Parts: sequence; C-alpha cells; structure tokens
Amino acid sequence: MRTLICVLLLSTGFSTIAAEVEQQASTWLNALSQSLKTRNFSTSFVVIKNNHAEPYHWFHGVDDTGKELEILSLLNGPRRDVLRKDGVVSYIEPELPPYSVETYQVSGPIPSIFSGDISSLEKSYNFISLGKSRVLGRPAQIIRIVSKDKNRFGYRLWLDQESNMLLKMSVITREGIVLEQVQFTHLEFSKDLPEPLKQLQVTDLPHVVDVPKGIIDSDLQWKVNWLPSGFENVRSNYHRLSITKQATEFMLFSDGLVDVSVYINKSPVNQREPEFVMNGATGVYSQVVKGVEVSIVGKIPSMTAQAIADSVSLLSGAKRP
Amino acid sequence: MSENKFETVSSCVDNYIQQDESFDEIIKDSELSDTWGRYQLMGDIMRNDVPQTLQLDLSAKIAAAIDNEPTVLAPKNTVKKQNSFKARIVSFVKPLGQVAIAASAAGLMVLGVQQNNVVQTDEVAPIQNIQTSPFIGIAEPVSFNYQQPSKMSQKQAYIEQQRRLQALLLDHKQQIKLTAATNSEVNEVVEPAIETTPEHKVESLPK
Repeated sequence: MRTLICVLLLSTGFSTIAAEVEQQASTWLNALSQSLKTRNFSTSFVVIKNNHAEPYHWFHGVDDTGKELEILSLLNGPRRDVLRKDGVVSYIEPELPPYSVETYQVSGPIPSIFSGDISSLEKSYNFISLGKSRVLGRPAQIIRIVSKDKNRFGYRLWLDQESNMLLKMSVITREGIVLEQVQFTHLEFSKDLPEPLKQLQVTDLPHVVDVPKGIIDSDLQWKVNWLPSGFENVRSNYHRLSITKQATEFMLFSDGLVDVSVYINKSPVNQREPEFVMNGATGVYSQVVKGVEVSIVGKIPSMTAQAIADSVSLLSGAKRP
Repeated sequence: MSENKFETVSSCVDNYIQQDESFDEIIKDSELSDTWGRYQLMGDIMRNDVPQTLQLDLSAKIAAAIDNEPTVLAPKNTVKKQNSFKARIVSFVKPLGQVAIAASAAGLMVLGVQQNNVVQTDEVAPIQNIQTSPFIGIAEPVSFNYQQPSKMSQKQAYIEQQRRLQALLLDHKQQIKLTAATNSEVNEVVEPAIETTPEHKVESLPK
C-alpha cells in the first residue's frame, strides 16, 4: 500500500515537473522570439556542416517608426546578402539578378519561425529545458525542440540567460548525431541602429517580384498521400529547375520549422535506385519508378523522405505526363 | 565471540560466505574491516601479488576523499545523464560511417558541379584516345579498352547525378525564399498589418 502511494506521489510529481519544464522552455523560446524582433544587435556566426564552416554577419534593428531592418550576409565566396526593410526582403545572390519579395521572413540558416510565433510548433514538437551551459563566454540556457514522432530531426538551442538571444543551435538526429550547427562568435547589442542598417535605411531595394500564388490543387496530376503529422501544403506549382531546365511538378510542405519540397517529373530512364545525399541537415532523396522521378528535399531523415516519395500517387482522372 | 567474528572474516576472504549479514557486520565494524584488509594483504603476499609501493591505508584515503566530495542533491538526474551518455556512445558507433559517407558525398556534390565545365572538356580527349589507339597498333591489354569507357561513363553518370541533386537542392532553397511571401498573412497577426500597396512595382520573376 505504501509503495503504491509512493508511486502515485512520484508519478504526479514527475508529471507536474515535466509540465513545468515544458512551460519554462516555451517561456524561453517566446523570450527569444521577442529579442529577435525588438532588439538592435550586430552579430557574427558560423554555420558548421560537412566539415566546413560558413561565416555570416547578421544585423537587426528597429528604427524610429518601429520598422524592422535586417541584413544577413555570407562572408566567404560569392556575395550572398539578404536585406530586409520591414515587409520587403531582398536577395542578392550570384544565381539571379537581385530581387525582392514581400515578406517578413528572412530565409537563412536560422529558422524564421524563431522570430515568429514559436508556440505554433507545439503541435509537432515538445520543448524541453535541459539545463545550463556556457556559450560565447556567457551563461546559457539549453532548450531542446524534440519532434513528437520519429520522422523529424531535433533542435538544440543555447540561449543567452541575460538577453534570451540565440548563442548556438544544432540540428541533431534521433541517435544524437549533430548534422548542422550554428555557433555565434560575436554578439553586441546597441541602443542605436547598427551602422550597416543606417545605410540600409537610405538604400533602395530591388523591385518586388510578383510571386504567383501557385496553381490550384485540381491542376496537379500527382498527390502526396503521406507526410509526418503537422506538415501542410504551402505552395504547389509547375516550374523548371534553373540548372537542369527540367520541368517539374512542385509541392512545398512545412510544419513551421522544416520545409519539405516534393518534385515529380517524367524521367528518360524507367527505373533508378533511390539516391540520398546530405548537405548538412538538408537531405536530397531521388528515385525513379516506372519512368516517374520523385525527389524530396528538406531537413528530414532519409527514411521520412523515402516514405513521402513512396506515397506519391497519380490523381484519379489525371493523365500521365 | 570476537574469535568467532574473525572466523567469519576469514571465511569471507576465502569465499566461503555463510550469510549476507556477515558482510554487513564486517563493513560496519572498523576492527573487522581492518582485519579483512589484513587478511587480504596476507593472501596477496602469499600469492606474490603485492604491488611495489604498498598503500596500506587506501580505504581510509578513499573514505576521506568521499567525505570531501560535494553532496549531489539530485541523484536521479545524474543516473539519467550517465545512461544517455552510454546510449549515445553505442549509437554513435553505428551510424557514424553513414553520415561520414553522406557528408563526403555532399562535399563532392559541390565540387562536382563547380568543376562541371572543366570535366566536360576533359572527357573528350580520352574517348579519342580509345578510338585512335588500335590504329596506331600499340599492344594494350584488352581489359584496358574495356575499362576506359566504363570508367568514363561511370564518372559521367556520377557528374550527371550530382548535377541533378544539386539542381534540386538549389531549387528547394529558392522556392522557400519565394514561398515566404505567399504566407505573409500569417505574420500580420504578429506584426502591424501592411497593406499590399499598388505603389510596389510588380515584376515577373527574374529569369
């Protein structure tokens, strides 16, 4: 009887502790998002993947009228800059002439959801507070973002205890292997806008491109029947890949944190063994079955990519391309 | 009585354990523990098993060290940490090779595309060699002629594969950038709402 009471007490104790830890973790994440949105900062960080490091500069600030300004630039190799003035984001890249997009999200190594509504991830992920550590010479709080199922990678964040800023981030497999890391090497807050952002204020951004909203679902010939829970279709269209000029049916899915692209097109070969390569945490999976090439790209394990690819089927009534 | 106790110690040393309690007794009683130690030492000496530097008061030292150890207030956690650490080592061993292969493939992936042009010009020459060499009449092992084209096509297939996968990776990144725009409505909840003003000049996608 006594043991039973003990067990009961322990289990209720644990569940309240677990809930508290989760509560604490989401408070930390909300504080992170607040810092990323409202503070003026100049930072440097490196992205470590495939045994090499890519250095970045990242500036963020809020001007007198409450508009956010942001610059993210890759420091090695050809210029890759992302400039943001409130709701317009411009990309300067070697592949394309500069262009702008109407959005609040900057697409870079740090998931844009971190400066958005992180609590929306709670459908598919658990937040766990892991304890303390020291990163960038500062006391840091470790937060884990763990997938509720086996189909996704996990994230580990190190947040500055003082400012709640991101100090380090890693993408980790369920087996505990680190695939990709972001390590901040410099972090500075200022009262005024950082100098590069003052220059950005007076710079004109390239023209905004018109992004077609994507074709309606009924125009698609293929259907993805399985995705991990929480993934929703963000966009579908029919376009050509810029390198190979291959025309392909395209669907983009997102669970808020991870984006997964599905490409379906006709292939000159009838059958091809599945291929899977990784660039950091981003996997590219491709296979040809009965003359149809299905490719999956995203930060997901190969098993998940394969399951998604295998679930693709022809919509009834649609003609084979 | 005390004689009897020492007997218990002796039998324990000789692995003739009578009762589990006798161990507890020995551990509790400092005199008996000392006796235990001495008996073991005797045994060691008889077996010629003594280290060169004898530390007779090892147990006392360890006890002192344990006393000096800071008290751990959350023993449950430490056990968990140890377990996860162990589990990690085990799991590390298996898939590391896979990742290493994947990582090197990705490294090659970039190389493959960057050197694409160079490789393409290179590949012309060896093919000509194969065609001309029989005319010149150089004695070559038959297998050589066979290997060369298959090697080339393998390499070419590899380059083709890298190009294909690289194209997908690049397009994926590109599509994410453009997609951010289409669900900007979501952000209006967090941010002050913007109106899609017609002042913005709308252009088609750069080609």
